[in-house]
Amino acid sequence: MTTARKSLIEVSGLTKHFGGLTAVDGLDFVLNEGEVLGLIGPNGAGKSTTFNLLTGGYPASAGSVRLDGEEMLGLPPHRIAARGIMRTFQHNMPFEGMSVADNVLVGAHTTMRSGLGQVLLGAAPAREEERKARTRADELIDFVGLGGFRDAEVTTLSFGQGRLLETARALAGEPRIMLFDEPAAGLTPSECDRLGEIIRGIARRGISILLIEHDMRFLLPLADRVVVLNFGRKIADGAPDEIRSDPAVVDAYLGEAGGVGAAAGSRATEQPDA
Amino acid sequence: MSDLLELLVSASASGCIYGLVALAYLLVLRPTGIVNFAVGEWAMIGAFAAYLLSAGLGLPSILVIPGAALLMAILGWATEWSVVRPLVVRGAGHLAPILVLLGMLVIYHQIMLWRFGADQFPLEGPFGFRRVELGPIAGTPQSFFIIVTTLAVFGAVWLFFERTVWGKSFEAVAINRRAAALMGINLRMVTALAFAGGAAIAGIAGLLDAPRGSLEVNMALPLAIQGFSALVIGGVNRVEGALLGGIILAFAEDLTRRYVPIPSGLSLGVTPLLLIIFLMVRPNGLLRAREAG
Amino acid sequence: MGALGQLGMKWVLRWGLVTALLCALPFVLQPYELDIYRKLLFWVALAVSYNFLFGIAGQMALSHFAFAGIGGYTVVILLTQADLGLGLAIIAALLLAGILAFIVSFAATRLEGFYLALATLAFAQLLIVVLDEGGTLTGGTGGLTSYSLPAVFGTKIEGPWYALVMVGVLLGTLAILLRIDRSWFGRACRAIRDNTEAAAAMGVDVARTKIIAFTLTSVMAAAAGMVYAFFDNTVNPPVFGLENAFLLLFMVIVGGSGSHAGAIIGAVLLKLSQDILEPVVGHFHAIGFGVLVVAAILFQPKGLIGTWDNLRARMKRAKGGKGVK
Repeated sequence: MTTARKSLIEVSGLTKHFGGLTAVDGLDFVLNEGEVLGLIGPNGAGKSTTFNLLTGGYPASAGSVRLDGEEMLGLPPHRIAARGIMRTFQHNMPFEGMSVADNVLVGAHTTMRSGLGQVLLGAAPAREEERKARTRADELIDFVGLGGFRDAEVTTLSFGQGRLLETARALAGEPRIMLFDEPAAGLTPSECDRLGEIIRGIARRGISILLIEHDMRFLLPLADRVVVLNFGRKIADGAPDEIRSDPAVVDAYLGEAGGVGAAAGSRATEQPDA
Repeated sequence: MSDLLELLVSASASGCIYGLVALAYLLVLRPTGIVNFAVGEWAMIGAFAAYLLSAGLGLPSILVIPGAALLMAILGWATEWSVVRPLVVRGAGHLAPILVLLGMLVIYHQIMLWRFGADQFPLEGPFGFRRVELGPIAGTPQSFFIIVTTLAVFGAVWLFFERTVWGKSFEAVAINRRAAALMGINLRMVTALAFAGGAAIAGIAGLLDAPRGSLEVNMALPLAIQGFSALVIGGVNRVEGALLGGIILAFAEDLTRRYVPIPSGLSLGVTPLLLIIFLMVRPNGLLRAREAG
Repeated sequence: MGALGQLGMKWVLRWGLVTALLCALPFVLQPYELDIYRKLLFWVALAVSYNFLFGIAGQMALSHFAFAGIGGYTVVILLTQADLGLGLAIIAALLLAGILAFIVSFAATRLEGFYLALATLAFAQLLIVVLDEGGTLTGGTGGLTSYSLPAVFGTKIEGPWYALVMVGVLLGTLAILLRIDRSWFGRACRAIRDNTEAAAAMGVDVARTKIIAFTLTSVMAAAAGMVYAFFDNTVNPPVFGLENAFLLLFMVIVGGSGSHAGAIIGAVLLKLSQDILEPVVGHFHAIGFGVLVVAAILFQPKGLIGTWDNLRARMKRAKGGKGVK
């Protein structure tokens, strides 16, 4: 049951050309406040490109992305983060020279307001802020289930644990919006279940979530609404149940060997690069 | 006018030397991503190898150059095998091989200093010290010899990259290491060849350069810097870029020294200045990579 | 109570002891030992600030010694040729170093890895050329020699007392760096070092952070250089040249790149080795540095401090095993 929600991010006419190839073509969709939005599509549909455009990875060829009505396209990644949008990386990008706790603390960077001068003098606000950030980081580490690994070197983490670290790190920025880049990729089924729980927990905290995902079996139970891409265009937009039986969607995935069922089965076996 | 022409010949010869050193960098940099700052030492060691072969063993010139090149190739291969390969195998990242080669730079340098001291040695070119005139162009025979040899080396390397399977595999590794390995290209062979080839070319650069001035251990570092500057100027993406960069650098240096009214010591600042300018303004150099056909 | 109150007794005691030791030492050493000692402090100060730039902020710059030279030369030139008072000369020299560092730091935002090293190396080379050709301003290849530290508030600071100045600069450098390292800024620097793309995604302004790190540490190098200028009352180009730039890099690597303690250990080990070996085997001692660097990178990338940490971890495990569960 969806109540009318305020739209947080409005994407209109988003287009990206790579030379002769049009990866994203006039894409329109919205992310509403408090919802979990899934962005899915077969390989090569333009999901990753869209994601990179949203996170400031490269400039768009045309279109606009508005957050709270303000244009976001063209902002560098650190400004996007400052606006309250945090992201995870599909291929896990931890800071390998730092401990788990310090990794998470980097995520909190945008919440640290004290200037370098205050830090230098050991001023009380700076120390207080640091203390609070460490407490919050510890909470997040427990929240994602990495409680025993606080001081571990990140190089000792498994891929699945690294994914949890990605999540905790992004959450440390106290975001309004979380962007997940193929979070299920590379995870075992039990790790997927745990991540799904965590994502539900994040949604319960009122954070709006945009997930791009290839694995429908992971995504459909989580999402409030799903946008389906194919060939860089939106072909469907609605509740998960509607999407599941939408002929256009089934058609698009049938183009892939095996169709929708096969897409749902791809978990720790492949690294898609849509 | 003839003055200028003679300067151009001499500058061209210098440019060829820088170009060869730049090529030595390139040969290692492209497939491995490693900047081997020790090429300067290799150039110097190659020159000393030539000296030992000609003055010590009395070998004729025609054997000295290939002989020195072969010795250097072995040294390059040995370096790769002993200090670089363990790092690559371990997945130690970009920086580690560069730093380990800096350590090797010091080791090479100190060994050579210990053996030869800071003295200058005479290394004669194969054609002596006369003055040769080719129409309006005049210069030392060594200058012409350098130019010819450099063109030959560049030609050979260009052919290697364009026409041989091994050369193409270098390029493949440069573009995408993992994909190349998946296609069956032997990464270790490529890396070993790259280091051996780079060392040989650096050695040739050194033994060509030494007769023009003097053979001494401390010629290594300036050559390393000038070679890298030439590479940056000409472009790290193409073999021709190395030579182009060398020529530009040498011309800038020599023309400045001769014609710009500043104290001659200041002309030593031309190389670093050009390097800085290019790194900031056009880090990929003048020649763009050729689009995949 | 503020910042001091939360430090705790153990901290005050430990650092108080260290400071007292460092300050007392100059008064018990022979003159030639004192010379070694204060040059050692100079290198340690440079190594600590360089470690922050290279080991923590991940910027492989070879300009650190150049900035020490800028600091030293500028303060001497302003004192002797511009007739500025000492205080003003110091401030002006720091400002000049800061401005130059700020300009050079833009290279750090555009270049990575060895390309940054080469750009900063070129900068250092340009400085040497300028110093060599500077005529009477810089004293040319021989450098500047006939000057001395003016009296401060009527007293001449000499000998062991001047060594205390170096102690002060070293401790000041260390204090500042330790403080900012344990803050969001230190983490931002490390994040940029480890994964620039992820750092930006987490909100780190990469360019700004790099500029601050480069400028701050380079000014610290300049400060050390200023103190150095009055050790022997002579400054000349070779000291601030490439060979020492590489040696500084080696110290940090061998000691343990990224660790403050590592930088100190590396500097002490290599500099003292040089002081002990050079009179005996001459310049050939430098081969040891090459060997140490190669060994460090091949066998112990975390440097000597890494070996120390491994030892401590092993001792802890041994102790734990003996206890009752």
